Amino acid sequence: MALVKEKHIQFIKSLNDDVTEQMIEYWLSEHLRLNGIYWGLTAVLLLQEPSTLDQQEVIKFVLKCWDLKQGGFAPFPRHDAHMLSTLSGIQILANYGAWDVLNEKKQDLVKFIKGLQLPNGSFQGDRFGEVDTRFSYNAVSSLAILGELTKDVTEPALEFVLRCQNFDGGFGMVPGAESHAAQVFTCIGFLAITDNLHHIDVDKIGSWLSDRQVESGGLNGRPEKLPDVCYSWWVLSSLAMIGKAHWIDFDKLEQYILSCQDTENGGISDRPDNECDVFHTCFGLTGLSLMNNEKYSMLSIDPIYCMPKEVTKKFDKWKQSTT
Amino acid sequence: MVRALKITIITCLSQHGIKRQHVSDAAKSAKIQRDKKKIAHYRNLTDACLDLRDSHTYTQDAYDKTSKLLEENPEFNAIWNYRRDILESWQSNNKDIVTHLLEELNLSMGLLKRFPKCYWIWSHRVWVLFKLESLNKPQWSTELMIVAKMLEYDLRNYHGWSYRRFIVDNIEKAETSATTTANEDEQILALVKINSKEFEYTTSKINNISNFSAWHNRSQLIPKIYKLFQLLKDKSLFPQLQPIFLSPYSLLQHELDLVKTGMYVDADDSSVWLYLSWLLTDKFFVESFESTQNYKDVLLQQLNIVEELNELEKDDHPKGWDNRWCLKAMILIRTLLDDSPENDDLTKNWLKRLIDIDPLRKNKYMDQLNGKLVIVSI
Ligand SMILES: [Zn+2]
Repeated sequence: MALVKEKHIQFIKSLNDDVTEQMIEYWLSEHLRLNGIYWGLTAVLLLQEPSTLDQQEVIKFVLKCWDLKQGGFAPFPRHDAHMLSTLSGIQILANYGAWDVLNEKKQDLVKFIKGLQLPNGSFQGDRFGEVDTRFSYNAVSSLAILGELTKDVTEPALEFVLRCQNFDGGFGMVPGAESHAAQVFTCIGFLAITDNLHHIDVDKIGSWLSDRQVESGGLNGRPEKLPDVCYSWWVLSSLAMIGKAHWIDFDKLEQYILSCQDTENGGISDRPDNECDVFHTCFGLTGLSLMNNEKYSMLSIDPIYCMPKEVTKKFDKWKQSTT
Repeated sequence: MVRALKITIITCLSQHGIKRQHVSDAAKSAKIQRDKKKIAHYRNLTDACLDLRDSHTYTQDAYDKTSKLLEENPEFNAIWNYRRDILESWQSNNKDIVTHLLEELNLSMGLLKRFPKCYWIWSHRVWVLFKLESLNKPQWSTELMIVAKMLEYDLRNYHGWSYRRFIVDNIEKAETSATTTANEDEQILALVKINSKEFEYTTSKINNISNFSAWHNRSQLIPKIYKLFQLLKDKSLFPQLQPIFLSPYSLLQHELDLVKTGMYVDADDSSVWLYLSWLLTDKFFVESFESTQNYKDVLLQQLNIVEELNELEKDDHPKGWDNRWCLKAMILIRTLLDDSPENDDLTKNWLKRLIDIDPLRKNKYMDQLNGKLVIVSI
């Protein structure tokens, strides 16, 4: 099956048409809107059709999501700032190179993110105490993109992340929790961003990750679970970060992702013949880009940040000492 | 005007696995008609809640409105936040909020049944439980029964298992702080009781059905219970556990028997093999052997068992193929036995067979064959 590139662009475009707003689902998913825009933007950037989304409108919207009280990005205007939506907001602005719109907000963001770190090094998603290794990744990815990463944050954070590793080499949400491929992505991503990959046995985790590929070619998130297109990203990018991407079968994964396309209306679903959404469309495309971006005339994706490499190569990452 | 901000996520994250339908234009218009009322109602309710929040209104009426909205959309985390702020405000005004907190437990329970994978509901429940504890009304034990029920619906629910460990942690903390006046022996007894129940719970979940979540939890419980058991004065209170938790060696033997049953039930269940590799490599077991020879004896015994199973699998396979997991385990064990596995012809031979029967991962086996890595895991 071929990649129906035009259809996917149409699909992303259709998410913005007048009909969408008349569906109850649009209103029920406000809490994921900024993330959704990041997913849609990543998809069209990779497909080299950035004009599918109106840059000025998108930036205007990101700024409307600013939570003045907390100093971070909410997923939707009037909602509350959270670690998840804050990273999406920063990623969108970084993709557009729109740093000038942040102004003094940049220091608020740094304060917001650093303020969510707990004494044991972990991060909470907002002021209410939910802890998850996803937020450790959100924090260091956000700070790295802003060029504000510092050791006083990453060292205790590292200690916590390493405590979340299990006997199978994988990582869970918190210490003691079962290994899960999406959490593995956040933890390996954390280690890659903070230059700490040498702390783990990459052969062991690589082995566990490669076992996620099932006969259909798709990847699952845990032993004995069904495959799902979004794991094409969580697993494949994790393997790429530790230099073991060749431990799974690219041809079969490619075929699996392509088989999940809606060739009529565009979009990619979690499994063949399921309903498509922007989340799986994004991660299906990022997977294809990571395996072979040239074949599909896509931009090359950075496995660490899940953004085009031409964007991420400009990141300063560590805060330059001002002395 | 603000077109670019409409990107919607019809089926995301918590709603995986919805069948694709290509709806006709007529059906679409019908849905739009149906949704009109729903949208108007939902937007009114949302605006009302957010307006109340912005005016710092912490009344019963506001609280009730958030209940209504969350019943319709439990993913609306800002509303959960507002609700917590209402409760906090009542508390700081000396209002008794225990009844309300219990109400929170009811609301979130009902929602979890409908949305078992929604992060916000789980984390709200955690917040409520801590609040109740701070008010000397801990609910941890009731909560353990509730999470057992949740796991009955979905035995692999990731949140459910994490939550279960979280509850047990807190029961432990409560037990050891409540009995601070009692002696240490009683505290240890209490901890063994709690954890042995968890151990039995995982045993009941690994019988005849693949459940890596239970195996994983077992790997957490074993070293913990063993340590406690060592400190326990009267071990005869646990007649069933006593022979198992005698030593790491007796534990190993007990677990290897379970694993053997598991691999014979389904040799393709990767859960069992991951657990086997833990048993054979974790220092908790390995470092407790009296001599290297004892360790090697166990490895050889396991190698025999797996090789035997592999022969049976080959007989059953239409093309006479080896079982992938058996071969991987055989390679692991020989690697553990041999000082220079890269020169071992038998291991090389098995790797070559894996390349044939498990082509998805052939590059990994090639790397192993070329000595680029020695994997001491399955
Ligand atoms: Zn998915």
